[in-house]
Amino acid sequence: MIDSLIHDIASLLGYQFFQYAVIGGVISALATSWIGLFLILRRESMISDGIAHTAFGGIALGLLLKINPLITALIVSIIAVLGISYMRKKELAKSDAAIAVMLALGFSSGLIIISIAGGFNVEIFSYLFGSILTIDQTDLLIVSVLGFASICFFGVFYKELLSITFDEESAKVTGIPVMYFTFSFNLLVAFTIALSIKVIGVILVVALMVLPGLAALQLRRSFRGTMIVTVCFSILSVIIGIFFSAVYNVATSGVIVFTAAGIFLCAAVYHKVRYTA
Amino acid sequence: MKESPVLEFSHVDVMRLKDLVIQDATFTINKGDYVGIVGPNGGGKTTLLLAIFGFLPLKNGSIRLFSKNIQTFSEWDRIAYIPQGAIHFDTHFPLTVAELVSLGRITRTNIGKSLRKTDWSAVRECLTLMGIDDIAEKRIGSLSGGQKQRMFIAKALVRNPEILILDEPVTGIDATGLESFYKLLSDLNLRKNITILIVSHDLSSVFCRMTKILCVNKNVYMSDITKEIDPNVALKKAYGEHFHFVFHEHECKGDFHHD
Repeated sequence: MIDSLIHDIASLLGYQFFQYAVIGGVISALATSWIGLFLILRRESMISDGIAHTAFGGIALGLLLKINPLITALIVSIIAVLGISYMRKKELAKSDAAIAVMLALGFSSGLIIISIAGGFNVEIFSYLFGSILTIDQTDLLIVSVLGFASICFFGVFYKELLSITFDEESAKVTGIPVMYFTFSFNLLVAFTIALSIKVIGVILVVALMVLPGLAALQLRRSFRGTMIVTVCFSILSVIIGIFFSAVYNVATSGVIVFTAAGIFLCAAVYHKVRYTA
Repeated sequence: MKESPVLEFSHVDVMRLKDLVIQDATFTINKGDYVGIVGPNGGGKTTLLLAIFGFLPLKNGSIRLFSKNIQTFSEWDRIAYIPQGAIHFDTHFPLTVAELVSLGRITRTNIGKSLRKTDWSAVRECLTLMGIDDIAEKRIGSLSGGQKQRMFIAKALVRNPEILILDEPVTGIDATGLESFYKLLSDLNLRKNITILIVSHDLSSVFCRMTKILCVNKNVYMSDITKEIDPNVALKKAYGEHFHFVFHEHECKGDFHHD
């Protein structure tokens, strides 16, 4: 059985569509993992869910206008981030309420557009739940550019982001331009969600953002260690998801989330045994 | 010796949410001063600090740091700050002591650059100075209250600051911890000549250890602390005429700063 599985995987790797899927999946895992960990530490995990659902409106718009839906999803995600930031800054709504407003607005816009267009059926379904095995060259290019921007930003500014996340007031006194960093971080959340849509879909993107980070936090390591473990868990979830779904013909996003949830469960058990026994 | 001013307030009015919180504040803090900032809750102590950092617009007057107006002041690496409730952080935050202290090395000039070997050497030196080098790799959430305090002082000192500002840093610390904390700050003030401003409700410690007292209750009064000065003269201005503070010098356990 194992021989057969290895043979299947080896033959799959020979196909270009599968190579694209693996490359896109790994880039997506890298980008979502660091953003997700910071969102957990900032207690803003649900912003990724809110923006992802808002992006649904962008996807529908892209399909209607026959533009690559990842581009329109990105634009709508950025608008959603700006909207949430504006409502919070002007004290029109607290964070959770602002997310709820944008989520509802984006999702309902998507529904209206779909009904006007008479339904997109399979196409919209693939964006709702992801379809990494159908990723084409253009999608891969978009995912690569967005992923590269996100990973570079983290690589260059991680210590400033860490300082702001731990204590914003002290970071301000240090001389870190907190407002610009927060704005840039929020933009990258939008970038990351847009690039994750093909991999996991708007409905489940929050799981890929949050579960690897949560699992890594159970191991109680340093920040550096936690970040490395988060990235590993995220890549592992995506790779297992892609291979398993290709071999056994099941939904990729479902397997990715199940794998990530399984890793989290194991980490939680380890935490329980190691620290509370 | 000529005193060199590091912080000057000149007729400063500070507004916060349409309320005048600080009114006509004029005082000077010189290099090496150890200043206790006291006053009732809501009197404007934290507002005063926020004004020093330039976070609040001034309605009137001017604030000068190292002889430069705060609107144009940019050398923030000369100042270190430990905010109110610093030790009450999220204990699940994944940081080691060394990692947290290293965040103190971030300045305007190294944003976007990796910390260098010299930065990490400075981190190790500060950990040793604070006597917590043996817990450098421990998670910050697992430390005792006293260790947390030392860690935050190390984070502040790793910048080699000339001014150290602390906002109620002793909340939730027991009496023994308080004593060693204030002794530590006194040592830093005397040995390294660091100017220290500390918001505190612990009036005994202020009068035992510090050289100046800044009483804040919308208006601001500064007074030197000497054996000859009755603490109540300054304190009544902040807390009201009904207030009476009974200060026994023996509470200082021989550590009165003038001894």
